[in-house]
Amino acid sequence: MTLAALVSVPAPVFSQQGADHDGNAARLLSPDKVVVMVFLRRDCPISSRYAPVIQKISKTYSDRAKFFLVFPDKTDSAEDIQKYLSDYHYSLPAFPDPEHTLAKLGHVQITPEVAVFSDRRLVYDGRIDDWYIEPGRARAAPTTHELKDALDAALAGKAPARAEVRGVGCYISDLE
Amino acid sequence: MIRIHWLVIGVSVALAAQDSKPVTFNRDIAPIMFRSCAMCHRPGEAAPFSLLTYSDAKKHARQIADVTRSRAMPPWLPEPQQLKFADEMRLAQAGIDLIQRWVEQGALEGDTKDLPAPPKFVEGWQLGKPDLVLTAKKPLELSPQRTDTYWNFIFPVPITETRWVKAIEIRPGDKRYVHHANILVDRSSASRKREAEPGAGFGGMEIRIESQVFDPDSHLLFWKPGTVPYVEPEGMALRLDKGTDLILNTHLQPSGKPEVIQPSIGLYFTPQAATKLPMLLQLENDVQLDIPPGRKDFLVTDEFTLPVDVDLMAIYPHAHYLGKDIQAFATLPDGTKKTLIHIPHWNLNWQAVYRYTQPVRLPKGTKVSLRYTYDNSDENPLNPNQPPARVVGGNRSRDEMCHLWLQVLPVNFDAALGDPRMALQEALARHNVEKNPGDFEAHYNLAAMLQAKDKLDAAIGEYELAVRLRPEDAAANNALGAALVAAGHPDRGAGYLRTALKARPDYFDAHYNLGFALAGQDDFEGASQQFTLALQLQPDDANVEANLGTALAQMGRFPEAKSHFERALQIDPNQAIAKENLEALRKEVSPY
Repeated sequence: MTLAALVSVPAPVFSQQGADHDGNAARLLSPDKVVVMVFLRRDCPISSRYAPVIQKISKTYSDRAKFFLVFPDKTDSAEDIQKYLSDYHYSLPAFPDPEHTLAKLGHVQITPEVAVFSDRRLVYDGRIDDWYIEPGRARAAPTTHELKDALDAALAGKAPARAEVRGVGCYISDLE
Repeated sequence: MIRIHWLVIGVSVALAAQDSKPVTFNRDIAPIMFRSCAMCHRPGEAAPFSLLTYSDAKKHARQIADVTRSRAMPPWLPEPQQLKFADEMRLAQAGIDLIQRWVEQGALEGDTKDLPAPPKFVEGWQLGKPDLVLTAKKPLELSPQRTDTYWNFIFPVPITETRWVKAIEIRPGDKRYVHHANILVDRSSASRKREAEPGAGFGGMEIRIESQVFDPDSHLLFWKPGTVPYVEPEGMALRLDKGTDLILNTHLQPSGKPEVIQPSIGLYFTPQAATKLPMLLQLENDVQLDIPPGRKDFLVTDEFTLPVDVDLMAIYPHAHYLGKDIQAFATLPDGTKKTLIHIPHWNLNWQAVYRYTQPVRLPKGTKVSLRYTYDNSDENPLNPNQPPARVVGGNRSRDEMCHLWLQVLPVNFDAALGDPRMALQEALARHNVEKNPGDFEAHYNLAAMLQAKDKLDAAIGEYELAVRLRPEDAAANNALGAALVAAGHPDRGAGYLRTALKARPDYFDAHYNLGFALAGQDDFEGASQQFTLALQLQPDDANVEANLGTALAQMGRFPEAKSHFERALQIDPNQAIAKENLEALRKEVSPY
């Protein structure tokens, strides 16, 4: 899929680089870099428990991929998101997505899920890894690492082994 | 015939009419949420979001449909059975179906006239202000990383005399991160030795507390999300003595950010001493746990025949991450079989104590059986080893366990024949020794039981077997040594007591017992040294002061002896030996 006709997204709540303030989602999906959107719901404990995992992987790939967080809950205010970012020690750019523009773009229905774009094309959407089996049941450690695999494939200019693996967590409310 | 036929048609028409109405939150869903979800899904409780209003429920509608359909929520593990549990959280299938239809139909709100009154919950302490509130001295800093943490907080109970507790409310800290918590009663201060510094607490999933005297655990003190504190039945209060520690064993789940966990517990006293003495029967078979990698249905069983009539009050099954199908049943002497509990899909995260709505009478001769299966294949996603590896019984979360606790109250017994709990404990100890002759604890416990019944020679035999299994175990060497001293063999006893002290130099009991052993051999110098060392470990022990005084008096060191007798009487004005010997000093040894 191509993303030329992107709708605009709200200005980021928090941006480390300060480069994403023009409110244009096209700028988010830079052609020269792999981009990862991480969808989170503040009231979803599984989303929150992934914070250290998301921080670690975004740091590992920081020179090759651009990560940002997306909060698709309609009722999240900028202050809510700001507080969440500081509570969970995030230093990644974050965007509210009340109209679910980015969720639809990334084919995402559940938090936490990720959408990985390469050259503005969606190459992977779904879970980060297989840590959770269902709500309330998690493995001691994950045995598959879909996000990492998708990133490695995209950076090598290949298609990921699987384009979509649904996540375990919380549905995005009112997503049509 | 015709009438019946008409009646049937009438009923089905009425049902169809009801079915055609759209499902609404106010009429159909709110009663389910209020009854079965809101106790946790409200502010300040364990659940991540509230389910008190239409907008709360609408926001999570799809999630609610999913987790009720899979029965992940509300969390309730046992299958329905004839013997009912109190506070059952299981949703009826009809309710689950209604929720599905509500979501399929667009999660409608409906008429506000249909909305029932919201549930009322007590704020703060659920049973009112506790008589005594204890807070963990040092909070635990919970790391945001993936793995679960098991932590024990020690609460010394600042009471100066024996009190009776009718309820304990556990406030585990932030309820969102505490999965469950258990209180263990430590009457021997044994757990404090595991702390790096006083008040720090200590890690570990399972803890074992040794007891020197016959004082079996009696109560299941448990917290899980959504529970209201349990008030013990009339006459079944828990005894707390001066110097008792309460150990809160917690299972904590990281949140994704650093958290600070500082639990409190609230004690509710009653002036009424216990008149009914329940005890915890532990069935187990950890020795059978040696599960090869790949095995999907590894079966472990245990079977115990009750030596007395009991009322079964509550049941608490326990396994770790490989546990799969967990069953316990009772076969009565007349052949009737009763399922006590059946959990077809064990989940450690939702372990709980289950209390029966009515005590279950199990007559003498009833066989209580446990039957657990374990899945050590890679198809068990909770398997801590990927790829699967051999797993044996043990205390760590990656080890397995096969335990079942039953809270029973002996009934129909002849008090003249002694405490019926002793008969239970002895039968259990014999059962464990038979089941596993290599089980150190089984021999140790049987020995302690025999000793409590003054069967000293038999007790010494069992202690010897325990020491043979663990030649350097401090507790077993101390107990064997003490039993030999009591049986009139201080020379033989002293050797074991020295071994105990080699293993644990700060072992108060062993110093005390060795003091006796040496005094019994007229080595009063050695005895006074041991009593002095014991006093350094427990400075306020009147008995040790009195014994030290006696040893010194035996050596003619009267002024020193006198000061120790006086000190003993300062601590305990009724210390008989100190009183008597001080009097003897006054009379017989002038100028005392």
